[in-house]
Amino acid sequence: MKIVEVSTGIEFEIQILPIKNTDFKLLGKERYFFNWRNERNYEIYKLQKVNSSDILGLISIEPIPNEWRIHIRLLTVSKENKGNQKKYDKIAGNLMAHVAKIAVAEFGELACVSLKPKTKIAKHYINKYNMNLTGATISIEVPEILDLINLYDYD
Amino acid sequence: MTKTNKEKLIENAEYGVDSRYHSKKERELDATALMEARLLRMKKVSKGQIIRAKLLQLKLKMELHLKNAVYDEHNYFLEFLEKYIDTIYTKRTDFAKDIGISPVSLSQVINNHRAPNEEFLLKLMLHSEMIYKNVCVFHEKIWYQIYFQQKISDTMYSKRNWKSEVEKFVGIQESMINNV
Repeated sequence: MKIVEVSTGIEFEIQILPIKNTDFKLLGKERYFFNWRNERNYEIYKLQKVNSSDILGLISIEPIPNEWRIHIRLLTVSKENKGNQKKYDKIAGNLMAHVAKIAVAEFGELACVSLKPKTKIAKHYINKYNMNLTGATISIEVPEILDLINLYDYD
Repeated sequence: MTKTNKEKLIENAEYGVDSRYHSKKERELDATALMEARLLRMKKVSKGQIIRAKLLQLKLKMELHLKNAVYDEHNYFLEFLEKYIDTIYTKRTDFAKDIGISPVSLSQVINNHRAPNEEFLLKLMLHSEMIYKNVCVFHEKIWYQIYFQQKISDTMYSKRNWKSEVEKFVGIQESMINNV
């Protein structure tokens, strides 16, 4: 899986790993927008460039096995990767694809990844990741979830 | 909506989503509605799409297994092989035919009565390349990695059974002990 340096177009290999307890002291709100310590009872994954310890994105999830679903609780990219001036592209997409991979590995053809963003933001996710809207929840299942994985996991 | 607002919206969406449920009730209501909608959508999923999902699931499980090696008595190679065949064939004999081996040979491999030989592994590799071509990236070495991971697991797990017997034939000279 790769991210792209916006200024050069160069792709960089990334790794997505479970967060360690020692990481929390690096996850200040000013760079990562949320209080990530509050998520410590959930699964949290960090995105880094291979051979770098700098955390570029984070996602916390809640697996709901009896619904064959994983619910995304929080997702963020680091401050310098936000908006038009961002350094790297595809951070959020890779984190979404990573969770989609966990869901498919666990639940196969029944896999589902859901999130419940604010209504206006939902539209962006529906368009970008081809997600479905149910009430205020957006979700991705087979077949679209397979396309999402293949879009980001191609090497 | 002005362009500026639209850009701002995308910017916000990209940097972060707070998608946590605020109450148990909210969560339950959403879950019910979502499940109903998903069940309707599932009816429209084709058989081919289900097979693609199962094949991707198998590949992801194989990759996870390679990352997190487990040394126990279970034969993961055979578990993955059975899953692979049963996902794409109704009858295992058809798989045997497609890779040019007898159904008896295949049955012996699957039932762990004989180890897969080099030819079997090569054919399995090529067969998977063809099957996965339109599903996802499938590294050609993965069956070999799973197979040799299994060999390592079998060897390590059964060490107490073979060690005392093999030890009788293994020794080093005393002078070497002092030099190492």
